[in-house]
Amino acid sequence: MSRQADIERKTSISYKTEEKTVMRGFNLSDLAEEGYSFTDAMFVLFQNRIPAKEEEQMLRYEMGVFLEHSMSPSAAGAIGVAAGRPNLTSTIAASISTFGGVHGPGAAHGYMMKKYLRRAHEEGKTVEEIAEVLVDEYMDNGLPVMGMGQPQHTDSDPRAEPIHLKQEELGLNGVYLRLQRALEKYFHARRKKEGRDYVGVNVVGAGNTALCDIGFAPNAAWCIGSVCRGFSCAAHALFNMKRGRAWAASKREPMVQMLDLSMIKYVGPEDRIVPKQADRAEYAKNQKEEGEYKKWVI
Amino acid sequence: MGDLTPEDKKGIGNLDDPGLPFNYPNREYGTVTMDTTRARFQWVSEVAYKNVHRIVTRGYDTTELMEEGYGMTDVLFVDFQARIASVEEDQMLNYVMIMALEDGLSAPAAVSRLVAQSKTFLTQACGASVHAFGHAYGAYSSFGNRLLDELAAGRESGLDIDAIAQGIVDENLNDESLGVSDLMLKDPAAKRMVARAKKLGVAGEYVELMEAIVEKAQAASDTPVDIDMLGAMGAVMMDIGFTPEATWAILAVTRSFAAGAHFIEETERAEYRRLGEVLTLPEMYDGPADRPVPSLADREANAKPALTTDLDEWAQQEEERKSVWGSGYSIFEEIEDPSKKTGVKSVGK
Repeated sequence: MSRQADIERKTSISYKTEEKTVMRGFNLSDLAEEGYSFTDAMFVLFQNRIPAKEEEQMLRYEMGVFLEHSMSPSAAGAIGVAAGRPNLTSTIAASISTFGGVHGPGAAHGYMMKKYLRRAHEEGKTVEEIAEVLVDEYMDNGLPVMGMGQPQHTDSDPRAEPIHLKQEELGLNGVYLRLQRALEKYFHARRKKEGRDYVGVNVVGAGNTALCDIGFAPNAAWCIGSVCRGFSCAAHALFNMKRGRAWAASKREPMVQMLDLSMIKYVGPEDRIVPKQADRAEYAKNQKEEGEYKKWVI
Repeated sequence: MGDLTPEDKKGIGNLDDPGLPFNYPNREYGTVTMDTTRARFQWVSEVAYKNVHRIVTRGYDTTELMEEGYGMTDVLFVDFQARIASVEEDQMLNYVMIMALEDGLSAPAAVSRLVAQSKTFLTQACGASVHAFGHAYGAYSSFGNRLLDELAAGRESGLDIDAIAQGIVDENLNDESLGVSDLMLKDPAAKRMVARAKKLGVAGEYVELMEAIVEKAQAASDTPVDIDMLGAMGAVMMDIGFTPEATWAILAVTRSFAAGAHFIEETERAEYRRLGEVLTLPEMYDGPADRPVPSLADREANAKPALTTDLDEWAQQEEERKSVWGSGYSIFEEIEDPSKKTGVKSVGK
């Protein structure tokens, strides 16, 4: 039995021998025996350091509120995949993979904050001044300001403001929270002045700010949020696998199922006859010349 | 729309065959009308719901949970078990998850790094890493369900823990999901985990059964074996109430955090790989020797049809095809109804 690694790499994250597994220099068993929490270990993993107690509390809070979000793209993805009854891991992988550009775009929000903080530093502006520049540049260009707005929690994400408050309570209000608070203040004022509806801060705007202030790089923050959601999506998938019917189309269920035929609404080209092969050349030529097909090209 | 049922619509391929279960030329077009006799589709869940102002899991508002001082690992008990864990149970879960977080450059990290090389989202690499937890590397489902089934069956038959453990070892001594192997002979981590479970007062019947299995396996094995991480983590997680499937999910996701770190390091320290860049040199190849492609005109002379028409011929072909690695003929799967379980019991060689 070969116990060699699957790929050869120089890595600064961890090593493993027959005697122990060591992450960033710490024997994992010793870390656990000493009473550190899993969230402590996340600081070791991504930041190569033991966090202050308040930092650990902040991460525990942030991951705790982010873990479960009922029906979002991630849970819907897991449940959809579960309908075909693959291994449980496929449903989890699908759920984590739903985190793209608009569902929990943690890395993008973090990079946005870093970009404008760097500009403030280089241009001699205050954090509050650069927050206004940020909002103006996004809104003037018709772009959504990252970290603001949530399609389901239209009065502001219920997790968001409490995260800000917890960060302040724990004394972790660093430069990122200062920027985010200033951004929100100016954003609300500008929208109000323009007669537009209130759009609250979302969990990325609040949670990612906290993660940045406790030292996580944007990609590490994105990983923490997205992967954390995988836990609850596994629960949603398991519920459907253990209590529901495979295929999600059974007519024996009292409720019309997700994949029942009647759930399909078709808005494509009208029903039409398949052309005979003998007519193919002429048919294809006419179809291309008429060009009606172009409105369906995606 | 035009005429959808012209006379010459008959005669398309085999679609007029009388053996077909219904009249194909006269099949209806259009979608199925709404079924008004049943309730419309909704996302039914016993796990969680949300409204504009709240997110609630198993009855608990998640923000209120955090404000009360609970943490991420507490939510795992709520999500998977619908209950608040004791402090000791939460401590134990933290311990197990720390141990599950990193494993060097084993499959999940390797998968994550390989995906990273293609220049894609971090989340795709993290998701892919979860796939590495199959029924050998992440055998929590088969390990745990065996313990569940054997314990229940043994108790019904009046067997004690010793006899149940002996039965498990007799049937599964060399199974990769036994939880006993030669992997941890020099690393005390698995035994330390069990000791911590006892110290915290959370060790129960699964740890007891696991220890009996270890004892029986050591007696039955010709070579040294001991409890491994699968055995320790699996038994402890079940003693703090997680099902085998929940254990599988939680520990696979736990490793995915580290897979994210490996994605990041790979992106920081290595180069992206372009399509066609990676070579596989002849030294790595042991397939057929290089040979000329026969001309298309000689196709019939060179073709070897796969068709077999009697069982002797079929059995002979089944054996012969095993010599073609990558064909799948050397893999045998013992099929169970996968809709009843989240994994089959035996997959592989």
